[in-house]
Amino acid sequence: MRREVLRLLRERGPRSVQELASGFSMARPSFSEHLRVLREAGLVSERRDGRRRLYSLEPVPLVRVRDWLDPYERFWRDKLSALRHLLDDAETADTGTTTDSKTTDTTTCAGGPPYDSGGGPRADQDEERP
Amino acid sequence: MNDADDPTVLRLDEYLAHPPARVWQALTDPDLLAQWFMPGDFRLSVGHRYTMRGTAMPGTGFSGTVKAEVLAFEPERMLRLGWRDADPASPAGADWTITWTLEPEGRGTRLFLTHEGFDPGSEMQRRARSIMDGGWRRLMTGSLAAVL
Repeated sequence: MRREVLRLLRERGPRSVQELASGFSMARPSFSEHLRVLREAGLVSERRDGRRRLYSLEPVPLVRVRDWLDPYERFWRDKLSALRHLLDDAETADTGTTTDSKTTDTTTCAGGPPYDSGGGPRADQDEERP
Repeated sequence: MNDADDPTVLRLDEYLAHPPARVWQALTDPDLLAQWFMPGDFRLSVGHRYTMRGTAMPGTGFSGTVKAEVLAFEPERMLRLGWRDADPASPAGADWTITWTLEPEGRGTRLFLTHEGFDPGSEMQRRARSIMDGGWRRLMTGSLAAVL
């Protein structure tokens, strides 16, 4: 029964006592007693919404849901770190070479000039505001 | 929607002490990409499709091999890529949009990454279920067993 209440809250979001109780054939005092047990166990929380009391699933087991993005975030952090090292190292190496090596790099970029599609140079891209 | 809380979007940014032109080059030159990102036959041309081989991400179902497509770009400002898992059976069900945005900042560049398209309907539910199931089991075997 209590697990069923938790399932309802998980699947349908916060519910008032009335809404929850309507799903069970049980006297209201007994039902409230079950809710009290869940509340004291920290599995549900109660808040007032006008004249209603809304029960919600406590987010403790759920707050970690966002963690499923963690592997992706680590992936990108690693990549960004590799990018920074690459650029920093290239800069160090560049200090010993001539500055027009950049121009050469552009022309040797595979696939031709880098601006060959997508509308070409933009009129607004060169202006830097003071 | 406040997408800081949007579970379908991952956003990161990084300051790089190099001008946007350098950063742009690192994002679009296949030789440089192979050095810091993943090897692949990238070409800066809208509609170009290419494949990159990276490493799998255990725990996500992502196979690591990406079928990518150049969706849009503005030189030195923005590069948008479509990413799909090369393994169509991948449980990650990857169908993502990756957007790099470059903004000059001081003498360098702030590079923003947006990784969109995580499907809460499949992946997150799956993960949430497994996390919650673990949670349930812990609760059930712990002192709360009596409660339930």
